[in-house]
Amino acid sequence: MPKSQFIHPKDVRKAGFIEFGKIPVNQYSKKLSDERADYSDADLLRIYHDMAVIRNFEEMINAIKISSEYNGVKYNHPGPAHLGIGQEAAAVGMAYTLGVEDYIFGSHRSHAEILAKGMSAIAKLNDAELTEIMTRFQNGNILRVVEKGFKGSVKELAMQFLLYGTMAEIFARSTGFNRGLGGSMHAFFTPFGVYPNNAIVGGSGDISTGAALFKKVNRKPGIVVCNIGDASMACGPVWEGLVFATMDQYKKLWEGEYKGGLPLIVNIMNNQYGMGGQTNGETMGYDIAARIGAGLNPEMMHAERVDGYNPLAVIDAYRRKRAILAAKNGPVLLDVLTYRYSGHSPSDASSYRSAEEVEAWKQHDSIIAFGRELAKAGIATETQLDAIRNEIKTQITDILKMATDDAVSPLLADSETIGQMMFSNGSADSMEEGRTPDVLMPLEENPRVKQIKGKVRFHTDAEGKPVSKMKMYQLRDGLFEAIIDRFYKDPTLVAYGEENRDWGGAFAVYRGLTEAIPYHRLFNSPIAEGAIAGTAIGYAMCGGRALVEIMYCDFLGRCGDEVFNQLPKWQAMSGNVIKMPVVIRVSVGSKYGAQHSQDWSSLVAHIPGLKICFPATPYDAKGLMNAALQGTDPVIFFESQRIYDVGEQFHEGGVPEGYYEVPFGEPDVKRAGNDVTILTVGSTLYTALKAADELQAKYGVEAEVIDARSLTPFNYEPVLQSVRKTGRIVLASDASVRGSFLNDMAQNITQLAFDELDAPPVVVGSRNWITPAYELERAFFPQKEWIIDAIHERILPLKGHTASTNWSDAEILRRNKHGV
Amino acid sequence: MATPVIMPKQGQSVESCIISQWYKKKGDSVKTGDLLFSYETDKASFEEEAKTDGVLLEVFYNEGDEVPVLYNVAVIGQAGESTAEFSPDGFAGNASAADAPEATSPVVQAAPVAVATVSAASADGKIKASPRARVMAGKKGIPLASVKGTGPNGRIIVRDIEAAQPVAAVATPVQAPQSPVAAASVSEYGNAEYEVKKLTNIRKLIAKAMHESLQNSAQLTHHLSADARKLLALRETVKKAQKADPAFPNVTLNDMVCWAVIRALEKNPEANSQFLGDSIKTFKQVHLGMAVDTPRGLMVPVLKNAGDFSLKGLSNHLRALAEGCRKGGIDPELLQSAAGSFTVSNLGNYGVEMFTPIVNVPQVAILGVNAIVQRPADIGGGVTAFVPYIGLSLTYDHRAIDGGPATLFLKEIKTQIENFQVHID
Repeated sequence: MPKSQFIHPKDVRKAGFIEFGKIPVNQYSKKLSDERADYSDADLLRIYHDMAVIRNFEEMINAIKISSEYNGVKYNHPGPAHLGIGQEAAAVGMAYTLGVEDYIFGSHRSHAEILAKGMSAIAKLNDAELTEIMTRFQNGNILRVVEKGFKGSVKELAMQFLLYGTMAEIFARSTGFNRGLGGSMHAFFTPFGVYPNNAIVGGSGDISTGAALFKKVNRKPGIVVCNIGDASMACGPVWEGLVFATMDQYKKLWEGEYKGGLPLIVNIMNNQYGMGGQTNGETMGYDIAARIGAGLNPEMMHAERVDGYNPLAVIDAYRRKRAILAAKNGPVLLDVLTYRYSGHSPSDASSYRSAEEVEAWKQHDSIIAFGRELAKAGIATETQLDAIRNEIKTQITDILKMATDDAVSPLLADSETIGQMMFSNGSADSMEEGRTPDVLMPLEENPRVKQIKGKVRFHTDAEGKPVSKMKMYQLRDGLFEAIIDRFYKDPTLVAYGEENRDWGGAFAVYRGLTEAIPYHRLFNSPIAEGAIAGTAIGYAMCGGRALVEIMYCDFLGRCGDEVFNQLPKWQAMSGNVIKMPVVIRVSVGSKYGAQHSQDWSSLVAHIPGLKICFPATPYDAKGLMNAALQGTDPVIFFESQRIYDVGEQFHEGGVPEGYYEVPFGEPDVKRAGNDVTILTVGSTLYTALKAADELQAKYGVEAEVIDARSLTPFNYEPVLQSVRKTGRIVLASDASVRGSFLNDMAQNITQLAFDELDAPPVVVGSRNWITPAYELERAFFPQKEWIIDAIHERILPLKGHTASTNWSDAEILRRNKHGV
Repeated sequence: MATPVIMPKQGQSVESCIISQWYKKKGDSVKTGDLLFSYETDKASFEEEAKTDGVLLEVFYNEGDEVPVLYNVAVIGQAGESTAEFSPDGFAGNASAADAPEATSPVVQAAPVAVATVSAASADGKIKASPRARVMAGKKGIPLASVKGTGPNGRIIVRDIEAAQPVAAVATPVQAPQSPVAAASVSEYGNAEYEVKKLTNIRKLIAKAMHESLQNSAQLTHHLSADARKLLALRETVKKAQKADPAFPNVTLNDMVCWAVIRALEKNPEANSQFLGDSIKTFKQVHLGMAVDTPRGLMVPVLKNAGDFSLKGLSNHLRALAEGCRKGGIDPELLQSAAGSFTVSNLGNYGVEMFTPIVNVPQVAILGVNAIVQRPADIGGGVTAFVPYIGLSLTYDHRAIDGGPATLFLKEIKTQIENFQVHID
């Protein structure tokens, strides 16, 4: 909440009406002859050609799916194929004006867009640029396949390259654009400005907003087009993306050249069906999708319905909308009306629509209609158009032969390669070397930096006396130091989330950042966790580094798709084309009951492709944040609200002032002992230390306390080393015990050190309940007594100890039987 | 009235045996003479036959169990007869920790299984122990069954094994270091690069005996060789005789060397001795030990009063001993090193030309017999020719014998060989 904007009750309480302007619907009325100023014959023939290529490509896939044969080439493709036969004009119209530096994002039904944008790029790139792209991409792997025996121009070769790379990708070949790891629904090719297509409906909704944010924040040329289905307008992430894209602050609070709207066109490829659901008339209530713009900002997102069956109407709209974006008045919403004759997928029996309806649309077929216009205008004869289509058919047949020939287009030879692609494991000070980061003051003048300078960086002073909280360097200071350091190193770094700017973050980690970092690099997001995570993903896909915050771990559910399906997967699904330097700070709550106090680190640990850490000390917090921000992989960075104010108790000499990294995956022995190992995740470290104190004092049992620090990756060696010594291990964290990641660790320890164990590993977690109110928390979260009781009851009976909690077999069985 | 089947006592020093295999199972009918089970001591294996007809009513021990000798192993009788009165004390199947009697007899105390079940087996007879405790018990040779568990649900945990160690050492001073129960329960393991096998009992014994011999005595070896022409000539005679009569005993070169050694020992009794630390026991008879390579490992059976036999008799007896070792069933008493007064180890068959055999303590000397090698020698009349020489390596314990007498003894063997004159027909 910026103080600069005064909310005056007199203003906001005034009576009045919201006035909506008009949203144009199919207002394009030009004839071909009207457009001849802008199009040469060749331009118009190219439009026809591109549409015909897409049609033929899709018909080929359809034939392969339905009859396992196309034009004499036999092939069985078990994978998906969501075709857009009928939607060619919308795709070509969308892509026609776009430059290579303009990025498109798409959906599961985006073959047409890949090809249209690819052909548009080939038309705009010169031979040298095309050769460079084809030679460098995957070390020329794809080029080598298509150039063999090919005699033609570079542009023709590039066309072969585009068709082949897309087709091989659909057929999961290692010579596909994404080494066959993306497939039909995910194929893309960034050198032509084709960014990830997303098989989660609406998945691109917030991701493309993040891409537009990248363009804007880093002053990169080009716009971003989000190709998205009409039915996806129902999806939360799309709505959140739209809200994020239309925030007032771009135009009202961002300063200088950063002032103004996002360069984003949300292009609804409105084929009027979501699978089988009719969006207009059944599953939505907008009547015309363009109406959505009116709900988002006073500009109504410059929304417009455009006739997607006329390529020139779409091109016309793009020319006009581009001007709006150039004037920083974006974003724009386009409702491009189209229709698919093909089913949702080849298994679609079209039970939801009549044959007459499909036939009626075929009567309006864009390719036939456009060809007729060309013939009428004397640009090409029907025979010439037939020749174009026949040539395309031959070309696609030839490429199909190549793409399905195992000798030419092998599958990934070593499937372990997939494992190597899960993480990029990069190390980069900056995602854009050579550019000076935008900051508002020299680092040393920052008030927080000055304040921290006066703090004691260890929990005791030189005489060993405890330092007061106010004078002590706290865990939040460690996070701050790492983050502000990166802001001064990496010009692409942006940080946002709820209350990240003036407030300084809900837990004061960012206090002092507002003074140092301009608005466009540090801002408050809408309360839209889906968009917070999703935009960060799009931002990183384009080459930036993003640090976003989920204020409470409990809100992770709000960005479930982004964290489970998008963030972890794109590095591998892209065949390592894309890097994903996104750090999501997730703060685990305390004292706030059932929806604000859960440790969900286990949920994300289950998802392949994420790096996960949960530091519990200032030293580790700073070191791991440095490592997270230096890396190129997605990190879920857990913090605990219980311990933002702890001082450093373990690292000798206190927290270093300079830069250092704590490597991911390395657990740390916080206290040495010989009798039992306690492995903890997160703030439970301190509970375990209390238990260790009591074990030592009362029972003479020396506990070795190990802080896991990371969940993924995780090096078991130090833990096994400890277990070899002690023979006993308890694992403890605040996560609910059922499905806790600790069980995974316990299982691995059991199989790796079975003969070393004097008892089965015991997991101490929170109960499988709602988190109760603070007053009742002791019954829910692991307490030191639980750890001691667990040791006594299940590992090593302690002389004279009486357990206060129940660890019997019967109780374990009972709890599980009742699911609590 | 049902009849118990007891574990036979095989030799004075045998206190328990391991059941190798049951040929009958509970409920089977058996006839006198039927094989019931096989069992083994540290050194040999045996088979036990049924001594009465009837039904095998009860089996108290399973394959792999160690059973104290003279304990009831099974009961044969008529269907329906009670077997409870034959149950060995502490038998896991019918004795609980509470009602088992105190172990009193020395034999019982020395038998781990019997002690075992008294203190640690749970109601279902299984021993609960943590993996780490099992490994530790195996290494220390502590039978898990002898340990009382103090972990959750009575599980034996590491501290119990640590506490059990001194107790076990006092209770079973002889058995502890070579506990067959622990050894039998340890499995084999390994990986692609190597295989690890636990020592068999016989291997443990050999290892112990060899190591003790070298550690506790002062051994050195003299080598010389003897003209073997006479031996070879006699060997040819034997072969011819065998052709004529297949029943003719196959008197080998080794038999002849043994014969020569016996004669030499009779003349040099100080080599026919045992060194007992503060005394030397010199034997009036030659009890000849002979090293035998068997699939189970090295065995050294002893031929008592070897000097009493003719060459043919010596040959027959030595052969029978060797076969007894290879097939099992040899009297374990004859495998004790203390049973012999001197040992011969022959590697000549394998072409070994010289080696340093290890004294079978408490014996004071051992003769290694080597291959026959053609060597140039003066055969008289100024003629040098190739002559077959047999190598002899005498290792002796310098604590008992000095170099002079040892050399004279070895020389005597050479003389006996070179002047070998035994009529055989």
